[in-house]
Amino acid sequence: MKLDAKIPSGPVQQKWDKHRFELKLVNPANKRKFDVLVVGTGLAGSSAAASLAELGYNVTVLCIQDSPRRAHSIAAQGGINAAKNYPNDGDSVWRLFYDTVKGGDYRSREANVYRLAQVSNNIIDQCVAQGVPFAREYGGQLSNRSFGGAQVSRTFYARGQTGQQLLLGAYGALMRQVGAGKVRLLPRRELLDVVVVDGKARGAVCRNLVTGKVESYAAHAVLLCTGGYGNVFYLSTNAANSNVTATWRAHKKGAFFANPCYTQIHPTCIPVSGDHQSKLTLMSESLRNDGRVWVPKKGGDARSPDQIPDDERDYYLERRYPSFGNLVPRDVASRAAKAACDEGKGVGPSKLAVYLDFRDAIKRLGEQNVREKYGNLFDMYHHITDENPYKVPMRIYPAVHYTMGGLWVDYNLMTTVPGLFCLGEANFSDHGANRLGASALMQGLADGYFVIPATLGGYLASEKLGAVKAEDAAFKEAEARVDAEVKALLAVKGKRTPTEFHRELGLLVWNYCGMGRNEAGLKKALARIPELREEYKKNVNVTGDAGNFNQCLERAGRVGDYIEFAELMVRDALERKESCGGHFREEYQTPDGEAQRDDANFSHVAAWEYAGPGKPEVRNTEPLVFDDVHPSQRSYK
Amino acid sequence: MRGDCKFSTSIGKKQVVAVTGLLLCGFLVSHLAGNLLMLKSGQAFDHYAEFLEEHPLLIPAELGLAFVFLAHIFVGLRLAWQNRAARPERYEVTACAGGRTPGSSTMKYTGLFTLVFLMAHIYTFKIQHPEDTSLFAWVMGWFHYLSYTAFYVLAMLSLGLHLSHGVWSSFQTLGVNNPRYSPYIRFGGVAFAALMAVGFGMLPVWAHFLRGG
Amino acid sequence: MNLTLKIWRQKGPGQPGELKEYPVSGVSPDMSFLEMLDVLNESLIKKGEDAISFDHDCREGICGMCSLVIDGRAHGPDSGATTCQLHMRRYKDGDTIVVEPFRARAFPVVKDLVVDRSSFDRMIAAGGFVSVNTGAACEANSILVPRPAAETAMDAAACIGCGACVAACPNASAMLFLSAKVSQLALLPQGQVERGKRVLGMLKTHDQEGFGACTNERECEAVCPKEISIPNIARMNREYVRAISRA
Ligand SMILES: Cc1cc2nc3c(=O)[nH]c(=O)nc-3n(C[C@H](O)[C@H](O)[C@H](O)COP(=O)(O)OP(=O)(O)OC[C@H]3O[C@@H](n4cnc5c(N)ncnc54)[C@H](O)[C@@H]3O)c2cc1C
Ligand code: HEM
Ligand code: HEM
Ligand code: SF4
Ligand code: F3S
Ligand code: FES
Repeated sequence: MKLDAKIPSGPVQQKWDKHRFELKLVNPANKRKFDVLVVGTGLAGSSAAASLAELGYNVTVLCIQDSPRRAHSIAAQGGINAAKNYPNDGDSVWRLFYDTVKGGDYRSREANVYRLAQVSNNIIDQCVAQGVPFAREYGGQLSNRSFGGAQVSRTFYARGQTGQQLLLGAYGALMRQVGAGKVRLLPRRELLDVVVVDGKARGAVCRNLVTGKVESYAAHAVLLCTGGYGNVFYLSTNAANSNVTATWRAHKKGAFFANPCYTQIHPTCIPVSGDHQSKLTLMSESLRNDGRVWVPKKGGDARSPDQIPDDERDYYLERRYPSFGNLVPRDVASRAAKAACDEGKGVGPSKLAVYLDFRDAIKRLGEQNVREKYGNLFDMYHHITDENPYKVPMRIYPAVHYTMGGLWVDYNLMTTVPGLFCLGEANFSDHGANRLGASALMQGLADGYFVIPATLGGYLASEKLGAVKAEDAAFKEAEARVDAEVKALLAVKGKRTPTEFHRELGLLVWNYCGMGRNEAGLKKALARIPELREEYKKNVNVTGDAGNFNQCLERAGRVGDYIEFAELMVRDALERKESCGGHFREEYQTPDGEAQRDDANFSHVAAWEYAGPGKPEVRNTEPLVFDDVHPSQRSYK
Repeated sequence: MRGDCKFSTSIGKKQVVAVTGLLLCGFLVSHLAGNLLMLKSGQAFDHYAEFLEEHPLLIPAELGLAFVFLAHIFVGLRLAWQNRAARPERYEVTACAGGRTPGSSTMKYTGLFTLVFLMAHIYTFKIQHPEDTSLFAWVMGWFHYLSYTAFYVLAMLSLGLHLSHGVWSSFQTLGVNNPRYSPYIRFGGVAFAALMAVGFGMLPVWAHFLRGG
Repeated sequence: MNLTLKIWRQKGPGQPGELKEYPVSGVSPDMSFLEMLDVLNESLIKKGEDAISFDHDCREGICGMCSLVIDGRAHGPDSGATTCQLHMRRYKDGDTIVVEPFRARAFPVVKDLVVDRSSFDRMIAAGGFVSVNTGAACEANSILVPRPAAETAMDAAACIGCGACVAACPNASAMLFLSAKVSQLALLPQGQVERGKRVLGMLKTHDQEGFGACTNERECEAVCPKEISIPNIARMNREYVRAISRA
């Protein structure tokens, strides 16, 4: 199938304005006649739902958590980018655009990224007006910091809780519309199927997580804002409820899945401490501004870190990347840590960790200053590990953090199923093969506040959509199918718990489709996953019943989808015979171990098409065109 | 918010309790000052009592005081009742996280005990007191009984407990809490409570034991 | 280490519940409290029993989803921390731990340790926001906020809406939660226009939802994982006086 990204013509700077002008508008009096179903209340979903309700649409919102405010976006710590150039350090919309395309290792769409950079400033205006308490200078102006290795200070932040504060802003806007009766809020609901009528998405079927009832919601358009799939790795920095279920089930209904192998590994996380571990905790990237990363030069060095003299330490980032040092981008830092551990130089009980040392920073700045800058992070570390990072170096290791892949969407954020839109981390659109720090929040809010209000109108105004009700046959069928699936899971009564399957799957993809990937490993994973899938169907043990609150059942459904999805992710990684951004194929690297892109053959988006149960998925491609930012080898030396 | 009574919200009710509570504290100060005249001499006290009785503003003042008392008691108890209803199912285990004090956790009991005290107090000292006898002698007569004296001392301790939380709490309820002053307010509240408990409590003790009544 | 847990089991809303005893063995001090419950649940599932339901999501102290009362204390013995931040090194071999749900009329039990906190959402819907439509905002730096005000607002804004304040309050009052939002917006210029309406609206919903009134017991601030403090409640009380005196 030919993918049409519907990118407007003309110079990149004018595309969005031009497009908005050309989009048809819905008559203000008619907006209330359109029902919009928004799934997910993270930054993308909350901002979209609020903005659409303000415009007058009839909005219904679903989320898994008990309150929209708890969506995974709440956990983002570092900040949000915008091209305000308040520090006068040379930033501009163009530079943010350029940095994002380059940071994505030339695997994103220029037009989307430019639009993102363009609206970034409006996002900050909007959030400030909502009362988001961003950090301030003494004069009362907004404060900025440099983040994730950017050469300019363009990151806005609210202590270590930027995601939380932005989400609370969007949640406030959403709740205002709930209070005004324009949004119907349905928490503790999990989408289990997208309903397509006459080729168009017309609603969804979900499970009421409290009563266990399968419920249908009809709409004129469905927006999936369901976040990323990082938990396919079992251990990640994502929240426990993050899942691929919504996007995966939409995929099975015809939405193409783009670049599933693009996953981001964050270099500074607290290492795994045992089998019981349920999640990994991120330590903000800002720590690398002052902390120095090292391992002992000698493998297996069992001395305590303070016993290891400087000349027996390998400050490998500073050594390998003299100009960026400890501030190299995430993918580079993560791989370097893995390389050090692979050489047997890892530290700590698991030997899967490297030191992040503040000794020199404390010497240079004084403990008080370090405490002021990083106090809460140090406390968090201390809390979890019971080690005092003022005294002993932190131990860190990379962990899965973000997924650039997602449902394929066109410039309007519409998937290959008409009427089904996808926003935020759940889509694939703006970050290419690697996302820059502080850009996910920006993208989620750009999609929700500024893009979808325009493009959804364009869709609704130009389509003829007949009346559809939740009582229609299409919904009843979907309900029956979902119900049967749920019952089937409960009926297996096997020997292994869903978590055991999830853990095995996670380890498998982490080992073979994690930081470093190679053909042999990927093939091994591809052989094992289908076995796991079959075993799952026969041997999973789900207790409790369907007509009740049942977290074991919730998890079971998600794990099943992860197993299916993992196969696609691995295949995508296998087919992309190049290294780019977060996708590092060991066969394709420069002599000094950096990612080697293959622009001649892989300068495209891989968009996978579901072909039916048991049939191999079809790989479609959308070529990427770079008119304004010319691909070059990323170098941080 | 038209049509809603400002005092019917949870904050509104609290503020009624706080304002009346502080007014009652004012009454306590003047009442204690008057009562301390007993220590000077019976005559001085009787003079003062007569002065009050003959004062033209006595009736309005008494009515006002009664109103304040009733408002405080009525609203305070309603609030306590509603607060109980806010947790229909109790915890199996409760532990104090460090915020509650003996005073704060017993407000309704110390308050009720004060109510019992007041009824007995007014009945014995005011209603039963014959018009033409010395009030001082009448009061001393009552403190002759050890049980009555003990009841008073207990009531004063209870009142002190009530005030140890009540005073600073009123300030907080009325919105006065500033990191700079609140330690002083808290301390001041407890000091005031102690002063009242000792000040009032001393009188029956003095009357029963020291005066050799 | 080996522990004995006494956990509240309740099949559904409005149904009777009871504390049930579960021994757990092989608990590592590095586990978080919730991971210890995971281990217990895995063993229950293996035995074919219904696992213990408890809310959780981020497991790093920010989403506000986890909500247990552990040995009578909301979020357990550590101050300034959520349940998910509690680690088993806090306990020793042989300990007995009682785990109950948050209890309040406005937080009905959904199942076992899970409660319904949607009353918090309804309070926010009644005014916990600045009314500004998307697109209507002015240039961000045209609103200046003095740094101290911004910092104090941020202190209040750190509330994660977990409801531990309600769980710990002897009156099941949600004043700390409410005051955190009212304070944040009262301190910022953006919140001025709707100042009065906000406190009155949110308070009305607070009372309707069945929360108790504050009698300044200060248990809430002692358990609040984000250390929201009661000067915020005093500020809200002032806001209330201001609002009614202008109404
Ligand atoms: C620890 C951490 C720190 C981060 N820090 C930063 C940072 O500093 N800067 C930055 O820019 N980015 C950061 N990120 C990334 C960023 O937070 C996320 O990418 C972004 O918040 C995703 O937002 P979202 O709206 O797309 O989805 P989410 O916030 O994940 O929301 C998903 C929503 O969908 C709902 N949902 C999911 N599945 C279903 C279903 N099946 N049925 C119904 N509802 C469903 C959920 O309930 C939820 O409401 C961080 C990420 C992590 C993990
Ligand atoms: C006569 C019987 C009394 C009863 C039944 C009573 C009851 C109560 C109750 C239930 C409260 C509410 C608890 C709270 O809000 O913290 C309260 C508070 C208070 N009471 Fe009393 N009380 C009585 C007498 C008094 C007296 C005699 C005084 C002082 C002279 C007093 C001073 C206060 C104060 C200052 C408060 C605190 C108000 C606040 O917290 O805002 N009370 N009382
Ligand atoms: C031991 C200490 C006390 C002594 C000796 C004492 C003494 C008296 C006396 C002699 C009277 C009668 C006055 C008259 O008839 O004109 C009186 C009245 C009264 N007392 Fe006390 N009192 C004491 C403590 C208290 C306390 C603690 C309270 C409040 C809680 C209180 C509240 C009152 C009230 C309300 C009246 C009635 C006032 C009036 O109607 O004018 N007294 N007291
Ligand atoms: S005030 Fe504290 S305890 Fe209450 S909801 Fe907010 S964070 Fe939780
Ligand atoms: S514990 Fe309760 S009484 Fe007030 S100070 Fe906190 S809300
Ligand atoms: S699980 Fe998110 S705060 Fe505990």
